[in-house]
Amino acid sequence: MLTVKNLHASVGEKEILRGINLEVHPGEVHAIMGPNGSGKSTLASVLAGRGTFTVTGGEILYKGRDIRNLTPEERSWAGIFLGFQYPIEIPGVSNVNFIKAAVTEHRKQKGLPELSAAQFLKLMKEKMAIVEMDSSFSGRAVNVGFSGGEKKRNEIFQMAMLEPDLAILDETDSGLDVDALRIVATGVNRMRRPDNATVVITHYQRLLDYIVPDFIHVLYKGQIIHTAGKELALEIEEKGYDWLINK
Amino acid sequence: MAEVIRYDFGAGAPQTVLQGFEKTPAAGRFALTLAPGAAATVYVLQDEPSVARLDAEYEVTLAEGASLQMIFVALSGAQISNRVRIALQGPHAECRLGGLYLPSGDQQMSFNVRLSHDVPECYSSQLFKGILRDRAQSRFDGLIYVAPDAQKTEAYQANHNLLLSTEARAEARPQLEIYADDVKCSHGATVGRLNEDELFYLRSRGITAEEAARLQQMAFVGEVLEMVSDSALRDSLTARVLTRL
Repeated sequence: MLTVKNLHASVGEKEILRGINLEVHPGEVHAIMGPNGSGKSTLASVLAGRGTFTVTGGEILYKGRDIRNLTPEERSWAGIFLGFQYPIEIPGVSNVNFIKAAVTEHRKQKGLPELSAAQFLKLMKEKMAIVEMDSSFSGRAVNVGFSGGEKKRNEIFQMAMLEPDLAILDETDSGLDVDALRIVATGVNRMRRPDNATVVITHYQRLLDYIVPDFIHVLYKGQIIHTAGKELALEIEEKGYDWLINK
Repeated sequence: MAEVIRYDFGAGAPQTVLQGFEKTPAAGRFALTLAPGAAATVYVLQDEPSVARLDAEYEVTLAEGASLQMIFVALSGAQISNRVRIALQGPHAECRLGGLYLPSGDQQMSFNVRLSHDVPECYSSQLFKGILRDRAQSRFDGLIYVAPDAQKTEAYQANHNLLLSTEARAEARPQLEIYADDVKCSHGATVGRLNEDELFYLRSRGITAEEAARLQQMAFVGEVLEMVSDSALRDSLTARVLTRL
């Protein structure tokens, strides 16, 4: 599904990713952990096509196709979804208009007709239920005045609406209390299929109790320095990252 | 000088005036008088061929307890200039001003507003928003004047501009001239560009860059359009605005 080969990326003169290699197959869940400033969020942004970062070397192959020159919307149409660490507030644009514009464009790209208002509302209701969001959220401006937990639930709701093949969830657990964490994680798990994949970026082991990864990668100074199975999370929880960095 | 067209609003049911719709003029000299307790809403639509030059002048007085809402929607015209003089002359008079301007090409649009609180306990608000593209220019001069004995005045003014090209130019000159000491007044002005974080967020969900920019612009002007209480009129103005974004 995703093959990242020797990926280098910079912001301005500063190199942040310094040779990332990653292979994600359909059906897998990968976790990327690492100390602050190791490049985790940069990796997520680069995969989603954020213009702030320049890819200076390497390849990103998604479903066998090099996506380095695709725009963010083209990557979205191809089935890539980024769950934001800090979801953006958009005053004046309602959640329903926002997601409707997104779904309509996705359908257009697939050659499907626009959903009727009734069909769309039914779909929205169904997907909002996955993250226990009530209908009052649809009329509110995107993320404006949402609590931390509500913002993250809104991310997973959008993911449910767009049904991506590759979801990259950037610190989806940050700012969540235990209940919100459970709701978000359950939502993500319900969307798992043998033909899609999830990359979870996190600081903490606790999210991985709910979303159980097949692989855990440790990112440090822009490189993956260690890869292991799910048991690594507990080891990191106990011993921190130093033993891996100093290895 | 052009002849002055007068509107006298008496107390009673609220009245609505549409300027610049179908056959009514969008420019000229107008004198509006609101008697005690009168309520009026005035909409001014300026949507002319891009060679037209428009000059509009409004002299407005409000007596005790009168209430006026006035909304300008300037969509097109080579040179549009609006000069607005409003005097709140009786206690508890209220005036809400809204303005939207969307110049493109080489168009120039300007608003020169003087809102004067002559007596105590009046309220005024001003919200002017502009989106400028190409080589367009705009200018907002807004003065709130509060007379020495106009205590308990509430007066607010905001002017926000969005530049969509590097050659567009918006000038904002908000001014307060306050001679009373027990007042609530504020003013603010900004000139900015489309928010890049919002744009990336929208695009990451599959919304094209073009559509994302339209959504952002609609959100920007929405605050002014929401002031239009008549829903049919609001929808028709929104549709006209959309064709310009």
